[in-house]
Amino acid sequence: MKAALRFLVRLFPAAFREEFGAGMIEDIERDYDQARARGPLLAMWSALTIAWDLLRSAVAEHVSPTWVRATPTLAEDQAMRWTGNEWMTDLRHAVRSLKRSPGFTAVAVGTLGLAIGANAAMFDVVNTVILNPLPYANVDRLAYIVASAPGSDMGEEFGVAAEFYVQYKEQSTLLEDVSTFNSFTATLRVNDRAERVRMSMPTNSLYSTLGAKPILGRLPVAEDEERVAVISYELWTSWFAGDSGVIGKSYEIAGDNRTIIGVMGRNFTFPNDGTLLWMSNDIKAAGITPGRFGMELVGRMKPGATPEMVARELTALSKRLPERFGGSANYARLIAQHRAVVRPLTQQMLGRVAGSLWVLLGAVGIVLVIACANVANLFMVRAEGRQRDLAVRRAIGAARGQLIRSQMAEAVVVAVLAGVIAVMLAWTGLPVLLRAAPPDVPRLADVRVDATTVLFTLGVALLSALACGLVPAVRASAPDLTRLREGGRGATRRRGWARDGLVVAQTALALVLLIGSGLLVRSFRALRQVDPGYSTENIFTFQIAPDGPTLTDGPSFARFDLEFMERLRALPGVETVGLVENLPLDETPSSSRVRTEQMANDPDAGTMMNFTFAAGDYFKAMGIDVIKGRPFETDDHALNPRNVVISKSAANLLWPGKDPIGQRLQRRGLQSWETVVGVVDDVMQNDFRTAPTPLIYFPLVGPEPRSWTIASPAYVVKTRRAETIAPEIRALVREVAPRAPMYRVYTMAGLARDSMTQLSFMLLTLGIASTLALVLGAVGLYGVLSYVVAQRTREIGVRMALGAEAGRVRRMVVVQGARVVAVGVAIGVVTALAFTRTLGSLLFGVKAVDALTFVAMSASMIAIGLLASYVPARRASKVDPIESLRGD
Amino acid sequence: MNPGGAGGMSLLEYHVLLALASAPLHGYAIKDVVAVESGGTLTPRAGSLYRVIARLITVGYVMDTEPANSPPHPGLARKYYALTASGRAALAAEARRLKQSAALAEKRLGVARSRS
Repeated sequence: MKAALRFLVRLFPAAFREEFGAGMIEDIERDYDQARARGPLLAMWSALTIAWDLLRSAVAEHVSPTWVRATPTLAEDQAMRWTGNEWMTDLRHAVRSLKRSPGFTAVAVGTLGLAIGANAAMFDVVNTVILNPLPYANVDRLAYIVASAPGSDMGEEFGVAAEFYVQYKEQSTLLEDVSTFNSFTATLRVNDRAERVRMSMPTNSLYSTLGAKPILGRLPVAEDEERVAVISYELWTSWFAGDSGVIGKSYEIAGDNRTIIGVMGRNFTFPNDGTLLWMSNDIKAAGITPGRFGMELVGRMKPGATPEMVARELTALSKRLPERFGGSANYARLIAQHRAVVRPLTQQMLGRVAGSLWVLLGAVGIVLVIACANVANLFMVRAEGRQRDLAVRRAIGAARGQLIRSQMAEAVVVAVLAGVIAVMLAWTGLPVLLRAAPPDVPRLADVRVDATTVLFTLGVALLSALACGLVPAVRASAPDLTRLREGGRGATRRRGWARDGLVVAQTALALVLLIGSGLLVRSFRALRQVDPGYSTENIFTFQIAPDGPTLTDGPSFARFDLEFMERLRALPGVETVGLVENLPLDETPSSSRVRTEQMANDPDAGTMMNFTFAAGDYFKAMGIDVIKGRPFETDDHALNPRNVVISKSAANLLWPGKDPIGQRLQRRGLQSWETVVGVVDDVMQNDFRTAPTPLIYFPLVGPEPRSWTIASPAYVVKTRRAETIAPEIRALVREVAPRAPMYRVYTMAGLARDSMTQLSFMLLTLGIASTLALVLGAVGLYGVLSYVVAQRTREIGVRMALGAEAGRVRRMVVVQGARVVAVGVAIGVVTALAFTRTLGSLLFGVKAVDALTFVAMSASMIAIGLLASYVPARRASKVDPIESLRGD
Repeated sequence: MNPGGAGGMSLLEYHVLLALASAPLHGYAIKDVVAVESGGTLTPRAGSLYRVIARLITVGYVMDTEPANSPPHPGLARKYYALTASGRAALAAEARRLKQSAALAEKRLGVARSRS
């Protein structure tokens, strides 16, 4: 809070600050401390009054300086003071008159403050995450590079292979530098601490490509081969307590001893926020086996080069790969089809998130527009009440500009107050908002209220002042002079086109937001009804990374795992236990080419397929149906039985229309053939939106002891006590593998919830925005109708005196409200039709123009509109004709 | 808003000059003295206070100065403000004006009371 107040001091002119800044800050801090000692409410009040005083004085100091270094010429001085003084007088009058109507001021300031605050908070997020996304040099020239091969069996886009990297790096004229990058989890062991952490093994050119330098130590070079690593600032401070002695020490990283040679800066988190270390790696042209696809590249383009130009050049360069590196006929065919895919790195990394954030910024922007409309309405009503006063001023010679200015002054005061409240709201609300945000938004941790936010807020506040003050001010500046003659009680009733227009706009915008949230609610419900192929109820899961002299190869780890699972099964309340290398919703399996005996005898033949490893009663514990054959048995995890279980879609892909049981397949890189013993249902691996991909489950042990080693799989424990069993399992782990900490401890239900955070975050934020919009819209309508009824009291009185029934009068008012709402709804529906598309990839199981949602939301909007009209209508029907006419 | 003008001064300006008439003070002390001497009716916040001080310096009624007897805290270079000769004169003039104005008010109220 003090920092915010200190910041406001900066709004003063530099010369003033230089002379008095230190003293002011000292005063402010003492004032605030004294107030805080007497309670939080007083502190808040004191902060508010100090902030208001600072803002007011800073503006005044700019407008009519009391402290000037260079003496301005007399003429300039006079001119400045003249307008300044007039404005100041108007502002002073405005403050005084607002003080006289505290109710109006509170509603106007509160409404605007809330809306501007929401905008400030969202802007802050957008500014950090999207506008300022990656803390690297020349971000706009960084490009993401992968491959596509239209017409081949490869996916729509896929990673390139090592020979592409070599070719691009050596021969591209449009790329200044290029590097591979990747991200995976592997075990990091530092003394007694062992965890699976996120790491990366890029080529050493990553740092020059991104323009990143270490804050300690050095960067890897070719001579380091694969024996060194640089660590992130986060790892350095958390695991090594920021000790610079870590440089030169060796630790076990991803199964090998590597020496730490450098520490990267706090901002360096490429390619994602959780990456803790980067191993050294260098790709040399010699010894490349072509066709091992799956590498993503990041390149720095020459100034002036566009992604399209680079893509054309890289595609051309790739055509010469077979003649340089060889490869199979299949490979040559693929190269012929190859088209390089190049797009800006920021778009690649933020594409999905950016869309959502812009939508949210748009939503709170709409709330602000509605709030402005409401406040404008309030001002208009206020100005109506002053018609007589204004008419007198005009009649005795006040210029129109003067009247406009005096009216605008109130709006400016209200907006500045609202701005102060908004900054405080953003300050306190932002942490709450961020806690609800999905974890995969990059750089979210860096979001904080800073000078840019404050400036943005003040800018928005002043714009809002213009928006809500100008129309009423201009209207009020041309008062109806006839009022003077008639003593101000005439029956003249001006059509409130401006007021009606505002209500129409409010209704339309609120409806757009309502429909947007309605669509998200339906998507959310649809997602919850998806059958991912497994159950998420009553499942507890965790990983450990055991080690020891006896744990050396595949069979030894398998023995440990099978025994450990027996112990788990013996715990009270545990129904079934299994394990898997890549748990759905948590990790992505690896992929490789898989071929059948029916395919050509060529390592490049076969289909790209995901594979993982499973054991125990994994399928039963997860509720994955066994469709044909059998699941794994204990004997399958011995050396060389070579049995595998495959998913339904893998079976359909490899042996369409045939019985897959007993068929044999070969994974690229293995010499042996594996026999299919079972077919299980497909599972959704990453979320509940993406269709399942073919998956092959291998047993814990391969044909050779070192074919593969499953060192830290995810254990899956089916129990009704999933939420409470953790302590008992912890105790068991301490007993069985004292040095192995537990990590990635989840329930499947929790993972399922997390997989929907992006949607639920959008739902929450958009829900709040549309509720605000709805309430503000309803209040706006209510206010306008109440005002109209009040204006027409005399007319209604006459009607009733002449025999109009109460019901008729009620209907008359409600119909007037309904007409305005109906126009608003019509416009809102058309606008929503155009804009719900921006929700695009967030929607699931519902079309962007879902008729049900549109109809339901429009109906509720109309219902609320009628309700808002009914209250004033009732008041109108209770008008006592005698009372209303007695005034004359 | 009447910088350097010959006519009346604002109440806050008057009280700041009044506070400085006894001894040079630093910003916060000025504020405390003003609050006490105005009977609590004036509690200027930092922004307003320093603008008044700035204006009084600009018109030459106040200058910044070294504190007379109390040596400044080590590391805390506080600015002290003192009344200039013309400031003293202006304060005296304003006090006279206030006195006359008060006398006038008392007289009128006295008349008003006796009439009713």
